[in-house]
Amino acid sequence: MSATAATASASVEPIFNTKPRGLWSTAFRRLFRRRSAIIGMIILAALILVALFAPVLATHDPVKSLIGIENVQKRQGPCIHWLGCPADQPQHYFGLDGNVRDLYSRILFGARLSLLVGIVSVGFAIVIGAFLGAISGYVGGWTDNLIMGLMDIMLAFPSLILAIAIVTVLGPGLINTLLAIGIVSIPIYARIMRSSVLAIKQQDYVMADRSIGVPTRRILFGNILPNALTPLIVQGTLGIAVAILDAAALSFLGLGAQPPTPEWGSMIGQERNQVFTAPHLIIFPGIALILTVLGFNLLGDGLRDALDVRQRS
Amino acid sequence: MRKSIFLLSVALILALVIGGCVAPAGPGAAPEPAATQAAPAEAAPAGPFEPMSMAAENCDYGGLFKSIEAVDQMTVKFTLCQPDPAFPAKVAFSSFAINDADYLEATGGGGELIEKPNGTGPYKLVDWLRGDQIIFERNEEYWGEPAIAKTLVFRWSAESAQRLVELQAGTVDGIDNPGPDDFAVIEADPNLQLAKRSGTNIFYIGMNNTYPPFDNERVRQAFAMAIDRQRIVDNFYPPGSSVATQFMPPSIFGYTEGLTWYDYNPDEAKKILEEEGVLPGFKTTITYRDVVRGYLPNPGVVAQDIQAQLADIGVEAEIVVMESGAFLDAADRGEIDGFHMLGWGADYPDATNFLDFHFGPGASAQFGEGFPDIWEALQQGATRALPEERQPFYDTANELIKQHVPMIPVAHGGNGAAFKADVEGAYASDIGAEQFALMNPGGRDTFVWLQNGEPAGLYCADESDGEALRACEQVMQSLLAYEPGTGDVVASLATEWTANDDLTEWVFKLREGVKFHNGATLDANDVVLSYVVQWDASHPLHVGRDGSFTYFPGLFGAFLNAPE
Repeated sequence: MSATAATASASVEPIFNTKPRGLWSTAFRRLFRRRSAIIGMIILAALILVALFAPVLATHDPVKSLIGIENVQKRQGPCIHWLGCPADQPQHYFGLDGNVRDLYSRILFGARLSLLVGIVSVGFAIVIGAFLGAISGYVGGWTDNLIMGLMDIMLAFPSLILAIAIVTVLGPGLINTLLAIGIVSIPIYARIMRSSVLAIKQQDYVMADRSIGVPTRRILFGNILPNALTPLIVQGTLGIAVAILDAAALSFLGLGAQPPTPEWGSMIGQERNQVFTAPHLIIFPGIALILTVLGFNLLGDGLRDALDVRQRS
Repeated sequence: MRKSIFLLSVALILALVIGGCVAPAGPGAAPEPAATQAAPAEAAPAGPFEPMSMAAENCDYGGLFKSIEAVDQMTVKFTLCQPDPAFPAKVAFSSFAINDADYLEATGGGGELIEKPNGTGPYKLVDWLRGDQIIFERNEEYWGEPAIAKTLVFRWSAESAQRLVELQAGTVDGIDNPGPDDFAVIEADPNLQLAKRSGTNIFYIGMNNTYPPFDNERVRQAFAMAIDRQRIVDNFYPPGSSVATQFMPPSIFGYTEGLTWYDYNPDEAKKILEEEGVLPGFKTTITYRDVVRGYLPNPGVVAQDIQAQLADIGVEAEIVVMESGAFLDAADRGEIDGFHMLGWGADYPDATNFLDFHFGPGASAQFGEGFPDIWEALQQGATRALPEERQPFYDTANELIKQHVPMIPVAHGGNGAAFKADVEGAYASDIGAEQFALMNPGGRDTFVWLQNGEPAGLYCADESDGEALRACEQVMQSLLAYEPGTGDVVASLATEWTANDDLTEWVFKLREGVKFHNGATLDANDVVLSYVVQWDASHPLHVGRDGSFTYFPGLFGAFLNAPE
């Protein structure tokens, strides 16, 4: 809106002089007012930067064994020069793993994988889940019963067990892990979408569209879907944390990313028996996982509070 | 009202259905030691002794045995097709333990036999809680020195860290295979003691010569040059391990002094692979099972190092982890088309246990087609009596294995067992056959042993995993035994054994008054039937757990009446 237009209309209708705030701008203001959400965003921003610039930040090749290249021992603890490690020893911020690879570099590259798994699998689940939920809620009748019955069956299985079953059938590997976690997350989004659609379907503006004969497809994707997005965004952000944890669990069991891929869960899994003799191999990937999951959870909580209309004062 | 009647009737039907399902399972699921002891068939009433025997029509079937017969109640005679100097050592092996003939028949050669072994050993089985533990109790009627601890418990955990924590916490008295990094921790702890095993084993990288490009001998030789074995042993094996120069471990008869393996030369390997058209662009797999054995204390890490070494010469290898049993089966059936990481620990100290089992005519399809020139050398070596006569043939065999490269020998892994410091007589057997009856757990009643894995079955004629064999050895006994510590063959159920001059007829005199745990008395027919059910593939009692009876053809050449 240009300034001249604003002054022109001001004389006619002074009430429009103050620019109304949209849903999103209000939401962002509320979001930035919450300290926990800001912390979450800072963690995630750092994580995304690490993932993007991993090759620059890493000190070593994450899959290259340093046997014969540097004078180091396998599972050697961290050595940081400015913390007192002798200068003649090669520097490794987080120490070395069982295959004499630099743990710091592996953890940096692991950030890429974890973010990828979280975002892709949840994205996949949201697209399919929202589509199924929208159809189910809008069409109703036996279609609704069929789709929701299917979703209930999937919800009846513990999600990790179902994911293990899917990976076992498809074969271990990163892509299949993405698929498995995506599939098991579908029902949550389908249910959320369906309940939103059911509520919005009764709104006057939808009734109006229907009464003037707007095609179903346009009502569903033009009017209902955009209005039902809010809870999906909140659930999706929280869901990424769960997906990252699930992927780590699958990799811990050896079903996810395959060696020598640096994945946090498989790094912990491979060195689980060294928990007492070389704890840094468990602690550092563990901290990386905790921070990531914490970041997504804080942001998700913040988003929920910011977007939830009922909680507004 | 109608609704409540309906609900009531639904509840009633549900209760009936659930009750019907649960009730029959109840008594069976509850552990009842009394029932276990009663289960073995009652001893047959004493009657006139009818000697059993079994003979092959001729020796064309390819096996070692010609006949097995009970000469009288206490004498058994084996007639062999060829001389076999290692026969006593083979007979002492726990796969050839003696079962009560009536019990074999009562169980049909499988079923209960696998769950409830009925032997003559110092311990008898009380209960096997699947997935949890096996409980043994002292056999008060044992013919020899009775067991010191009244109760023996076998437990298992695949995680070396958990095994060590349990030992430190005092919930177990002994653990098998501590992690290589934990050796120093145990030696430094005054409450613990470490018993080491010398590396009487071999870890190798196998290749199957029926899958290209492994069908090309030059390619296999090139891969032999591409693996830096010294690096693997230096970095991932505990102290006491050595780099393998051949399949035979140095301390076992059949080792060729001075034989060397291909020198590590990745450039030459790469050149050959390029000449043979394998590189660039060769993709393959490295398959292994994620279990710790003495020959491979750190499977995952070693697999990744081999993967990295192959990557250095441009070979892209994907790591495939398989379940232990499925992996062994797939390897034996020759289904693994890439590299596979496996090993072998000595069962008895002789070349036949290593070379014949893997490279003889009775070997599995693990390495693909066999090599007739190796068969010939092994045949010659196995049929001569004196060690100095046999050695040249094993030298030839070892040379031929180096030439053909069915596998790349990597390491002889030093390993061990750890015990509480107050366990008297604690030792770790080089062949993994610890006799717990000889150990005194600091005066306590119960000895708890924590090993790597649960036995698949306790009918050890049909088991080949050391975890099962060790459990069998507490309960079951063979005609002869290995002296703890030295591995020399000594008397057990047989008190004396003699052979004719050309080592083809072996006569075993049985110990008098030996009783099985079910009360039956040992006689020659028990021995004959225990062997015949393994030997004769068409025997109605040739059943077992999965029916493979791996050791019998491995050590004695072939089954009689084997299905085509």
